Parts: sequence; structure tokens; C-alpha cells
Amino acid sequence: MNPLVAPIGLSHYLVVGSILFVCGVLCMATKRNVLGVLMGIELVLNGANLNFIAFGSPMLRADQSNSIGLDGQMIALFVIVLAAAEAAVALAIALNYYHTHATVDVDQANELKG
Amino acid sequence: MNPNSIIPTLLATAWLLPLASFVFIVFFGPRMGRHGQRAATVATAAIIAACLLSFTALGLWLFQHPLGHAAHGDHAAAVAPLAGDWYALGSFGALTISVGYYIDALTIAMFCMVTLVASCIHVYSNGYMHGELHDVIDALAPLSNGEPMRRHGRFCRFFQCLSLFCFSMLGLVIAGNVAMVFVFWELVGICSYLLIGFWRERKSASNAANKAFITNRVGDFGMIIGLMALWASLGTFSFSEIFSQVRPAATEHRLQVPDGMIKLAKQGEVAEIVKRHSGDLDAAQKEIAAQLPDWRAQGYGYGLLMLAGLGIFCGCIGKSAQFPLHVWLPDAMEGPTPVSALIHAATMVAAGVYLVGRFYPVFTPEVLLVIATVGAITLFMAATIALTATDIKRVLAYSTVSQLGFMMLALGIGGWIAGLFHLFTHAFFKSLLFLCSGSVIHACGTNEMPQMGGLKRRMPITALTMLIGCLAIAGAGIPTVVGLSGFHSKDYIVAQDLSFWSHNPGFGGIFFFVALIGAAMTAFYMFRLWYMTFAGNPRDGYVHHHAHESPPSMTVPLLILSLMAIVAAWNIPFTSIGLDGLLHQAQPLGTAQTVTGQLVNVTMPAEHLAHAHENSLKAEWMAFAVALTGFILSTLFYGARKWNPDEVRRAFSPIYKFLLHKWWFDELYRKVFVQPALRVSDWVAAIDKKGLDVIADGLARLVEWTSRIDDWIDRVFVDDIINRLARWTYSLGISLRVLQTGNIRQYVIWITVGTVALFVLMSMYWDYAIAGI
Amino acid sequence: MPLFDSSNSQMLTWLLSLIIFLPSFGALVLCLAYRASDQSVRRFALLTTVAVLALTIWLAWPGTTPGHFTLGKPGMQNMVSHSWIPGFNIYYLLGVDGISMPLVLLTSFLSVLAMWASWPIVKHVRAYCILFLLLETGMLGVFLSLDFFLFYVFWEVMLLPMYFLIGVWGGPRREYAAIKFFLFTLVGSVLMLVAILMLYFSSDLRILSPSQLQASHVIVDQSDAARLISAGTQQHTFNILALSEMGQMSDSPFAKTMIWGQKLSLWAFLLLFIGFVIKLPSVPVHTWLPDAHVEAPTPISMILAGVLLKMGGYGVIRICYPICPDAGYSLAWLVCGLGTVSMVYGAFAALAQKDFKRLVAYSSVSHMGYVLLGIGAWSATAGLQYNSDYWSVGMNGAMFQMIAHGISSAGMFFLVGVIYDRVHHRNLDQFGGLFARMPTYGGISMVIFFAALGLPGLCGFIGEFFVVLGAWSYSKALAIIAASVVILTAGYILWTIQRVYLGPEYKGPHPEALVPMTRREIGIAAPLVAFAILFGVYPSVLFDYMKPSVQNTVNQMTTWTSDVKDAPAVTQEAK
Repeated sequence: MNPLVAPIGLSHYLVVGSILFVCGVLCMATKRNVLGVLMGIELVLNGANLNFIAFGSPMLRADQSNSIGLDGQMIALFVIVLAAAEAAVALAIALNYYHTHATVDVDQANELKG
Repeated sequence: MNPNSIIPTLLATAWLLPLASFVFIVFFGPRMGRHGQRAATVATAAIIAACLLSFTALGLWLFQHPLGHAAHGDHAAAVAPLAGDWYALGSFGALTISVGYYIDALTIAMFCMVTLVASCIHVYSNGYMHGELHDVIDALAPLSNGEPMRRHGRFCRFFQCLSLFCFSMLGLVIAGNVAMVFVFWELVGICSYLLIGFWRERKSASNAANKAFITNRVGDFGMIIGLMALWASLGTFSFSEIFSQVRPAATEHRLQVPDGMIKLAKQGEVAEIVKRHSGDLDAAQKEIAAQLPDWRAQGYGYGLLMLAGLGIFCGCIGKSAQFPLHVWLPDAMEGPTPVSALIHAATMVAAGVYLVGRFYPVFTPEVLLVIATVGAITLFMAATIALTATDIKRVLAYSTVSQLGFMMLALGIGGWIAGLFHLFTHAFFKSLLFLCSGSVIHACGTNEMPQMGGLKRRMPITALTMLIGCLAIAGAGIPTVVGLSGFHSKDYIVAQDLSFWSHNPGFGGIFFFVALIGAAMTAFYMFRLWYMTFAGNPRDGYVHHHAHESPPSMTVPLLILSLMAIVAAWNIPFTSIGLDGLLHQAQPLGTAQTVTGQLVNVTMPAEHLAHAHENSLKAEWMAFAVALTGFILSTLFYGARKWNPDEVRRAFSPIYKFLLHKWWFDELYRKVFVQPALRVSDWVAAIDKKGLDVIADGLARLVEWTSRIDDWIDRVFVDDIINRLARWTYSLGISLRVLQTGNIRQYVIWITVGTVALFVLMSMYWDYAIAGI
Repeated sequence: MPLFDSSNSQMLTWLLSLIIFLPSFGALVLCLAYRASDQSVRRFALLTTVAVLALTIWLAWPGTTPGHFTLGKPGMQNMVSHSWIPGFNIYYLLGVDGISMPLVLLTSFLSVLAMWASWPIVKHVRAYCILFLLLETGMLGVFLSLDFFLFYVFWEVMLLPMYFLIGVWGGPRREYAAIKFFLFTLVGSVLMLVAILMLYFSSDLRILSPSQLQASHVIVDQSDAARLISAGTQQHTFNILALSEMGQMSDSPFAKTMIWGQKLSLWAFLLLFIGFVIKLPSVPVHTWLPDAHVEAPTPISMILAGVLLKMGGYGVIRICYPICPDAGYSLAWLVCGLGTVSMVYGAFAALAQKDFKRLVAYSSVSHMGYVLLGIGAWSATAGLQYNSDYWSVGMNGAMFQMIAHGISSAGMFFLVGVIYDRVHHRNLDQFGGLFARMPTYGGISMVIFFAALGLPGLCGFIGEFFVVLGAWSYSKALAIIAASVVILTAGYILWTIQRVYLGPEYKGPHPEALVPMTRREIGIAAPLVAFAILFGVYPSVLFDYMKPSVQNTVNQMTTWTSDVKDAPAVTQEAK
């Protein structure tokens, strides 16, 4: 069945999620700026979040009777909290790095390379 | 009270008294008086008490069993011996080895003789050994710096050993079974060992002691074989049981092969019968019993009986110093003279003869012939050696060997009474002779007769008593009238020889002539000894000057013994009580008849035949004549000095040398037995060191080498594989390092590529079956 | 649950265990007492051995009250049985009978003397005493255990302390001697282990009758028997008594054919026999003995000669013959032959020795040969109408010889030690005149050496004489050869006495050190002398203990000969 004409279902969410995910990955892979990479990460996380919510939604599930209902959303909430925490830590690192090295280019940050 | 229980008690007390004395002296000896002087008193008192008890027992015995007229032939109403057991050494099923007694007239007579002689010798030793009461300087035991050795006196130790010996000797006599005889046989041997080696600092003494004991052990080895043969077939050692099996009353005490021996000889067939009657042993035994007479008629088991007899006789050969084991006795003269008198003349060496007499019922005529032959060889050989010996004690020692040969010869040709009679008379005169020689040695300080001479003025009592001894051993007497003890006993032997010759014309004569020649030589060397010692002029002034008569403690025993040497063979006046009658009474059942051998054609004539008038008359005169010849020759050579012995010596130089070296026996034995034994022992030790040890060590080394090889394999192969593996892993890691760039974007790309690849792979290959769903 | 002899349920079950483990408890205490002085350590160890001796005497005291030894009872007494490793039917099974009782007594008696003789040892006293006590546990355990597995454990327990006692406290070549001792014995015990497993895996308790099961202490009551007999699988066992019952059955499970067409029982017998004969020791596996003795310290030599060698004889009499009578019958020639060869060989080797201790060691080889000859002389055959008495004489003689040798050889080693402590050499050619220097020592030596020589009236004679008497019925030739050894024995003993004790003066180094024996030394030697005389004069003291059990063993073998071996073929087919 053509997804473009089908009623909104699970697969549509999944498609959007994967697009977000791929964008995020590409962003991470191509950006040299730390902030860009961070943004890519956020995109990847959100793509994943979308999947969780889609799978967790009672409306979208085939076996509704077995579900307590909110597990997907709860995990998405965890991910958001984690992403926020991560963003805070990463930005702090980036800021400090900028202070010391006057750049935010990740390719320059190879001093810990072992 | 019942004499049957009193007599064993008396004799047992007499037997145990010396033991008590021994134990007492062992613990308290050195503290008894100065240097243990009182020990002698204790030991002497013990043996004298034993002597009194023995004679009391003899009196009781005679009272109960009066001596009949010398019963001739077989006496059905023989006196039953008293036999019994005190306790068992071990008892296994039907088999028992016990300590018991077997008392007949012979036992009691031996007890009296042993204790009497021992008492005299104990008293004598009080004087003789007084040198041991203070420190002794022994010149014969030089120290390495050449000085003579000094030591404390060992007076009490001497009496301690004497007491132990008396106990052992009496135990041997009273023993109720052969095993017990063997026990005391060994014990007298060890006492002899201790006393020969009394001067243990002297190398010669300890050598002689070892030689005596080991030579005796050779004889004992044979005796053990005899014991085993008896034990395995008869299942008992007890004299009375053995005799009743070998000479059952049913066959009028004639010698027959006992059932046990036949069964043992036919073991294979017995086994078959038993197996055939599987499980029913009684039936099998019945069938075997039915077969026994046939087997006996076929002569089965006779060899075993002979083996038993010969084995026991082997022990006697050793103990009584018979050819070929006589070599120890002359060397045994290294011991103090009282020891030589007691052990090596009167009692212990006579024990072999005693055992032959005791065990007489078991000997087959063939064994008796062997005994006679051994006795004859010994008597001749020892007499010849005695002709040339110059050591006064050695002359007497060879004379003892020779006289023991006489006894064996007599026993071997059927003269039970003759042989044992000579045992008793010999004990008295030979101990007398030894004690006299001890008195001489005591006075002169030397054993060598060529240094003596003319001592009769200095030592009149000793000279007289020794003369009596010489006369007794030479067999002096007036034929048909009276004679010294040796006259009677030798007369019996010659008469028996004569009777044997008449029953075995041909080879029987050999024994007769050997006995006569031996008697002549006896007279010759004994008077040679007397003349060289007491007669003539002193040869060594120093010795003669210092010589003196011995103290009464030594001369009184001499007088008592010389009295015995004269009268021992006589009956108590006006009675028929005497040694002769006693021995007649003691003669074992069934041995007083003429017997013929099964395998060898030999006849042992009954003893009473020898006493037939013309036979004994002939014998008496012949014995008298040869003794007289010996005496006259001796007088001509040494007494009157008409002839010069040196000329004879030169004329027969090779023979003289042969005799002087005692027929080369010592050298022969050293070459043939001692040295090979030592060589074998060296080999054995070498096998241990160079053979077995090398194998064991070699095995250990083999294991060690194996482990080395293992180690090499480990290092070269096993380790290498592991190392190579590690190296590969390392280089793999190195080559993978290039991927670790630290470039985040690169990593992300890798992650992406990897994820995609995973998805592709899964989409291509995924199947629920893989997950097991 | 402890199992009691149903006829005597009042028995003190702890007594045997206490006897075995009291020494190791003492060792444990010594382990902890690391501050104690050497002398107090010695005293404590001696006290422990004395306590064990007291307990053993209590056990051996004749009587019918609990814990005492019932004379005249052939079977096991004072048995203790606990399940130990149930999965393999292994039991903690102890018991004592007339065969083991004298040996247990000998062990605890010699342990006291040897401990007392250990006073001169000054190196690592505490370790020495600990090892010594452990050794005692091992020795007692071997004689008392009736479960094959337990027996093996104790056998090994005894090995290790001995290794260290020789290897640490020994003479100059101690490492070599210790290793040699250890390896020889280990080879033996490994072979033994193989045999034990062979027997274990072919054993089956189900074929025994309930009464046999009860007699061997496998079960308590009949219900257990029913359970056992109806069990679905084979019921293996390590119980020596049960194995003996099986070995003597006419359809013995050990009769199945194995390698080279020989029966399993033959191979088991051979393996066990090699193990025991190494310990005994017999030619040709005796070479560890002279080295071990020469290097071992005096007290250890006493224990080694006095007790350890006896385990070989004990094993043969207790295990080899009852379990594999078949092989014992067909290999009697080997047992007796080895015994005789050892006697002659040891005597000759002793004659050649220059080292005092080596001489005594070889005399041990010679004397232990009698034990083999006495045990092996299987004369209860059809030819003797199944008369077991002669064999009984031989075997009792062998048992007696073990005890007598325990007394005389321990004494001889002690005497050598006394003189070695003074002058520090053992060269026979450098002695002489000791009798004059040390009269008491000389007198004691005479008695002990004469006992070894087999002089009547002393302990050595009875054993030798009875063995030789028993051997004749089995083989005349062997008996005659054995009898000839008396000459050689007299030779080497008297020659030794002459070289060491007689003569005018002492020829070796340190003549000034030749002081008379101390009270302690006399105290050690005197009991040995006393027993040498007592056993020689009144051997019934020992025979009363051993005879019923030995006779029982002999009777079993005889019954086996007549009912199994010689049973006609018809009956076997009927079965």
C-alpha cells in the first residue's frame, strides 16, 4: 500500500523518525563545529524518541490489551532529560575548550588521542 | 610322698639353682665383697646344693627302682621313665613344643656326674681364678703402643658364666623333648663361647670363641634338619612320643618306620586318595591306613627316618667335636683351664654322645654305621695329632676328641652301654687331667711342655693325681681282676668291637683295629705328657724355680676327682649298685637286640653278646696289651730316654709335619669354606651396590632424562605455539591501530556503515529459526 | 551412625579413634605452641606417646569388659564404623584382632622409646616432634583400619613424615636416602592403589549372605541386608573383611580372567604383594633400606626397622592371602622363594659390611625373610590331608618373628646410635674394646645381638625356629636353605661383636668421648632387653594374642583349599 495515501499509522512515524535520525547522523559526520555535532546528536535522539513514542502509543499498537500504555513515552521522557543533561555537559566542555584553544573545531581536539 | 613327683621336683630345683645364682650375680656380682669375691661363694654353694639334690634323687630312684641283675636281651618290664611338661612354648592344634622333662636312670646319672664335676671345678676355680680378684696385666693382649693391657679383674663374671653354663647343661640333660635339647644345646654353646672368650682382650681367644660357636652352628644346622624331618612327620618332639612311634610296643619295640614318615614319603598318593574322597576325610584316612603296611614293606619313609637320625647326629658331631667339625675344640683351650675341664672335657662336649645315647631308639643301623665310622675316623685322627702336640692343654684337647671318638664308635656298633659308660668315666678322669694341667700352668705360667720337666718334686700332689688320671685314661688295670675306671669302660668298647667283627667279618675288623691302635696311642701320648711335665730334669730353670704346689682349694678337688677316676666304674662294695647296673637299667627299650640294616648289609650285635666270657676275656687282654705297649714305648722315649724322639721325628719328617699341622684341617677349611663365604658376601654386597642400586638409580635417572626431554619438547614446541599465537594477536592489534584515528566523524561513518551492514545482513539472512523462535 | 558389634554393644567406640588420633592432636598442640622451649616440646611429645601407650595397654589388657581385648576370640574386636564417603561406600572402619593387636602394641611401645631416644636431636625440635607424632598416627592407622581406602590413606600419611624425618634430620646423604625411600614406597603404594581399585570395581556385596555381611560389618541388621541384596546395581565395597569373604567364595568375583589368561585375583595379589614386599623389604627391592637406615637419625631408624617393615608382613597376612587365596596358593613358591633368598642374601650382604648401621640394616633384610617364608608356606594341602597345623606353626612363627625383630632390630639400631653419638663414626674396623670402656653397654649389647642371632631363651629364636619348622612341610629344599642361614647369622653377629666390643683397646677417633651409658639410655635399652628375654622364655604371652586370629586365617585358607581349590569338577558343574 502506498504510504502517501494510507491513513496515518505506525510506519509514518517510523519514516519521519528515520529521516530525523539520518539527518542527525549526517550532521554528526559532516560538521566540524562542536555545536553542529551536538545538534546532530539532538536530531538522532529525537529520531529515536519519535520511534519510542510511536511504538508506545496505545492507538498505534496491535496488542493494546497487553500494554500498560505509557512505557514508550516514559522512555522518551528519560531520553529528553538525558539529552538535556548531555547538552549541558557538552556545551560546558565546548565552552571551556573554546576558552583554552580559541576554537571549537573537533578535528583540532585530538590531544587525548591514544 | 610320691617319688614320681619328688624326683622331677628335686632335679628341677637342682637345675634352676645355678640359674638363680646366675641372675643374682648378674645384678649384684660386682657389689659382692671385694671385686665380687663372694660371687664365687654363691655360685659354688648353688652347684653343691644342686649336687646334693641330684644324689638325693639318685637315692630315691634306686630305692624305687632297685637295680636288677644286668638284664640281658630285651626286658619287657623295663623301668618307665618319668616324663611330663611344665609349660608350652607354643601349641598349635595337635602340635606342641613344650618345656618338659624326661627322667630315667641315665638322666639322673648325668645329673650326678655333671653336678659333681662342676662342684669340684667351682671349688678349684676359687683358687685358680684368684688373679682376677685384682687388676690384671695381660701380656697376651698388647695395645697398639706395644705395652701390655691393664684391666680390672672379672672374678664374678667368670662365676656368672659358669653358673649359666651349669644351668644350661642340666637343662640339656633333663629336657623332655628334642626341641628343648636344642634350646639348651645352643645355650651351652653360647656359654662355651663366652667362657672361651673370657679373656676377650686377646685376639686369639675371641677368634677361638667365634670358631667354636660357628662350627657348632654348622652342626646345629644339620640338627635343625633332623628336627624338621621329625616334626613334619611325627608331629611331636617329645622323647616318649617319638620312641613310642618309632618302636611301638606292638612290634616288641623293634624299629619301624612310623606312619607319619610313610605318609610324607607317599605324599602324592595320599593327596590323590584324599581328593578322591572329596570332603570325606575319615574315609580317606581309613583307606590310607589300609595302604600303610604295603607302603612300609616297600620301604617308603625309611630315607626320612635316616635323614632324621643323621640330622640329629650332625648336631652331635658339632658339639662333640667329631670329624669333620672337630677343629674348634683344640682352639677352645684359649679359655681358662677350669672351663676346659668342665665344658670342653667333662660335660658339654659329652652332650653329643649323650644325645646319641638318648636318641638311640631312632637310629637305623645305617645311621649307626655312619656314627661308628665318624667315631673311628675321629678317634684315630685326633690321637695321631696328640702325639706331636706340645701345648699341654692341646694334648689333652686332642685326647678328648679322640676319647669322644671312642664313645661314638662304641655307640655306633651297638654298644650303648659301652659308649655311655665311657662317657661317665671319661668325664671324671679327663676333668681331673685338665685340672692337673691347670695346676701346672698356674705354677709355671706357660702351656708349653718343652719348658717344663721335673715338676714332680715341686708339685707332688699334682704329679700324683695326674698320674692317676693318666693311668685311668690309658686303661690301667689287672685283667679279669680289677682296674681303674678307664680300664673297665675301654674294655667294654673293645669287647663290643670284637663282637661286631665276628658279626661282620671283613670290614668289621677295621673298627676293631682302629680302636686298638687308638688305645695304644692314648697310653703313649698320655705318658709322654706326664714324663715331659713331671719327670726328668727341669728344662727351664726360671719356670722350675717359680713353680710351687697349688693351694688346697685346688688340690682337694684334684684328690676327689682322682678318687672318682679310680672307682667310678666300680660297684658300691657288697652291693650290685653301680654305674654299670644303672646304665643297664637305662638302656632304651628295644635297643638291646641284634639288628640288621635294610640298605647296607651291616649287623649291630646285641650288647650282651659282647659280654660272653671268651669274647670279653680276649678283649680285656688285648686292650691291656696295647695299653702296655703304648706305655712302654712312651717310657722308652720320654721316661727312660733310651730312644731319642727327635730321630724318629727326622726319619718321618713329612708325617710329623702333617701331624703338627693337625692334618691341615684349619687351612683347608679356611680355603674351602671361610674364604669362599667371605668372597660370596663381597659379591652380594657388590651386587647390591653395583647392581640393584645402579638399577634403582638408573631408573631414577631415566625418569630424570625423560623429564628433561619433556622439558625440551615443552619449550621448543608447546611454548612456541603459544608464543606465536601471542605474536599474531599483537601484530593484528598493531595493524588494527590505523583505524583508531580519534576522528569522530570517521567513527560516526563507521558506525553508520556498520549499522547499515548489519541491517543488510539481517534482512538477507534473518530467520526466526536462528533465534529459536 | 556408628555400628556396634551386636554381641557386645557396650564397646567403647571412641577408644580406637583416640589411639590413632591422639598423636596428631599432640602434633596440633605443638603446632600452636611456638613459644615453648625445646625441652618442654620434647617432654610433651614423649608424654603424648606415653599416653598412647597407656591407651593401647588398656585396649590390649585381656578382659571381657568394654574396651578390653578378649583373648581367644579369632574375629575383629572393638569395631568402629562410620560412613565416610557414602557415594563410594567408603567407611571409617576400624577394628583390632590378634594379628594387629601385638603390632599396635609394638608401635606405641617403640614410639615411646624412640621419642625418648630423640633427646640428642637439637635441630628444629618442634618440627621434628610434630612429624614424629604424625608418623605415629599413620602407623597406628595402618594397623587398625579395615577399610581399604582408609588403609591406603594412612599408608600414605605415614610416608610423608618419614620422608621429612630422614631428609631433614638425617646424615650426610640424607636427601638421596629420603628420596629413595619415598620413591620405592610410592611405587609400591601406587601398585597397591591399582589393585585396590581392581578389587573394588569387581566386588559386589550382593553375592554375600546376610550373615557374612553382618560379620564384615557392612550392615547392622537384616533389613539393611535385604535392601543391599536386592539392590539393582553392583554394590562395590572397600571393606577388607567383605572382600576377604568374596575372595574365598567358590564363585569368587575376583576369579574372572584378565590379562594373559590369568585371573584378576592373581594380578591383584601380585600388585599388592609387590607393594608390601617393598616395605618388608625383600630382595630385590630392598636397596632403599640400607641407605634409609644409614642416613636416618637413630630414633627414626628404630621406628623404621621396628614398625614400618612390619607393615609389609602385616599387609601380606591381612590382605593378600585372605582376599586372593587362589593366587596365594599358586604363588606360594614365589613368596617362600623370595623369603629364603632374602634371608641368605641379607646374611651374606651383612657379612661384607664395614658400616655398623648398614650391617644391622642388612640383618633386617635377612630376618624379615623369615616372615615371608613363614606366611607363604602353604602346607595345608591334600597331601597332608588338609592338616593346617604346620602352616599355623609357620604363620604364628612369622608373626612372632615380626614382633621379635621389632624388639631386637630397634635395640640394635639404638645401640649403634649410642656409640655414634659418642664417637661420630660407624666404621666397624675402628672400634674394639668397648666392653671394657662401657660395661653396661657391652652387656646390653650382648643380649640384644644374641637375640638377633636367634639364641634360645631370647626372642629371636622362637620366631625363626617355628618358621623353619613350618616351612619344611611346604618345601624341604627351602627349609634346608633357610636353616643354613643360622650359620651365616652366627658368623656376622659374632664377627661384629668381636670387632666392636672385644679386643684390648678402642681403635677409632674420640676415645675420650666413650663415657658409660647415661640413665636415659639405659632406660631405653632396659625394656627392650626385658622383652627380648620375656618373649624368648615365655612366648605364650604373645601367642595367646595372635594364635586365635592367625589360626582363623589359616583355617579359612585350608577350608578354601579343600572346598574350593580341590573340589571335584562335578560339583562345580552342578552349580
